Amino acid sequence: MQPLRLLKSQLYSERGDEGRLADPVLRGGRCRCGYVFFPMQTYGCERCGSHDDALTPQELSTHGILLALAVVHLHADKNRLAPFTVVKVALDNGPVVRTLLADDSGEITLGQRMKAKLVPVRQGDGETVYDLRFTAIV
Amino acid sequence: MARALNELRSVYVVGIGWHRYQNPSETSYVTLGLAAIREALADARIEWPAVESSYVATALLGMAAGRPMLRHLGATGAPLLHIENASASGSTAFRQACIEVASGISDVALAVGVDKRNMVRRSDTGIDHLADDAIVPFTHFALLTNEYAGRHHVSVDDIALVAVKNHRNGARNPNAQRQQDRTLDEVLGGKKVSGSLTALQCTPIGEGAAAVIVASDDAIKRLGINPDRAVRVTASVGRSERVYPPGVGFDAALTRETVELALAEAKRTPGDLDIIELHDAFTVEELHYIESIGLCAEGQGIAMLKDGALDIGGRCAVNPSGGLIAMGHPIGPTGIGQIGEITMQLRGEAGARQHRDARVGLAHMVGVGAVCYVHLLERSA
Ligand SMILES: [Zn+2]
Repeated sequence: MQPLRLLKSQLYSERGDEGRLADPVLRGGRCRCGYVFFPMQTYGCERCGSHDDALTPQELSTHGILLALAVVHLHADKNRLAPFTVVKVALDNGPVVRTLLADDSGEITLGQRMKAKLVPVRQGDGETVYDLRFTAIV
Repeated sequence: MARALNELRSVYVVGIGWHRYQNPSETSYVTLGLAAIREALADARIEWPAVESSYVATALLGMAAGRPMLRHLGATGAPLLHIENASASGSTAFRQACIEVASGISDVALAVGVDKRNMVRRSDTGIDHLADDAIVPFTHFALLTNEYAGRHHVSVDDIALVAVKNHRNGARNPNAQRQQDRTLDEVLGGKKVSGSLTALQCTPIGEGAAAVIVASDDAIKRLGINPDRAVRVTASVGRSERVYPPGVGFDAALTRETVELALAEAKRTPGDLDIIELHDAFTVEELHYIESIGLCAEGQGIAMLKDGALDIGGRCAVNPSGGLIAMGHPIGPTGIGQIGEITMQLRGEAGARQHRDARVGLAHMVGVGAVCYVHLLERSA
């Protein structure tokens, strides 16, 4: 099977060899001080300042809890047509991330369990790529 | 050992001025800035050559906008410095002007903020995010509104009452961009922006200028400035964001620690505050920040609002100028305009917006990135 073309492959990936039906993972990092962050970088740890080799990549599960949602009614950027829904999710691993809700997610309420999935999005050039979106765990 | 502003020599606000905040227009920034500076000089009853140093706060005008404006006051050769610190640019310029006078390096300094709406892109850090382009400031605060309403079991319609109060104050402020009373129905019925936020719950896009002149005791005597109209700066604190526990809102946490330091510096408690000017770019922010300042417990802000405790004439007048929602938020001027409003209030010169017996005022700004600046001002007599 061909790997999926991802919109932001530096931020997330399909999970290893389990195939496309498995949940994607976020490409986070861990500092030797124990601080877990997203996304991965080696500039330096926001908590302790250690850098480069002190920071190692760590795959983060996308499972977490919904902290907030907002339906965006107005958006100037023509590449994202409103309305769309933005969610804020506290990952079980610690970091808080914000991105779009998948169009086919079920109803969501605060405190709800969430996870991410890869959804096809059409680009300006007509190509389809996959982007990470959150969805309710039902 | 490091020292706080309050431990150095006393510094006073002696002159304030504005160019009205307004919708984007053809007026040049030079016209905006000069109007504010000349009004501040006239208010202090001093001449431009008395100003020994200038801090020019702009976030959107590009490089070195100050000298092409200041030269029309008569080029005195005095030093000038540009300050960009996002929404807190003006507050930061004011702090630097205060530090320069308090340290004894100058006796009289100017902080002037001026901006026009230009598109400015923040530089790329090389670190991408999942959907940053989808989460502009109003959506960041729409998320916080949703979270606040859920956590404290309050209705988003009640959160919109912040806008009703601030539009009412702005309607009485000739320097405000929006000078119109608004009912709750008008606020809620306006254009939907993001989440429960409507257009009248968001700061407008605009332009304008504000200026403040600060001076030492020596300068007040030497220049014959009226000491009864001088307002003392009793605390100045600047902070930047730290790492907070997951899920803790950084805007509120950063405000809490910055205000605590400022109150300690002036030996004041939240109950001493008569006037607060704070960063209400979006309605929910006012609730977050009055709770962080310590006016009430977390989640109790709506109750204070409904009781009228935050009105002019209430327990503590919050955003008597109209705040960022009604007075406006041209960026560079905003933090300096807050100092001007508090000064008017403490002098008893705020006219239709006057809060009774105002003695202690607090100015608060946050800037994306994220920074927080807090000043305390007190009536001398
Ligand atoms: Zn670390």
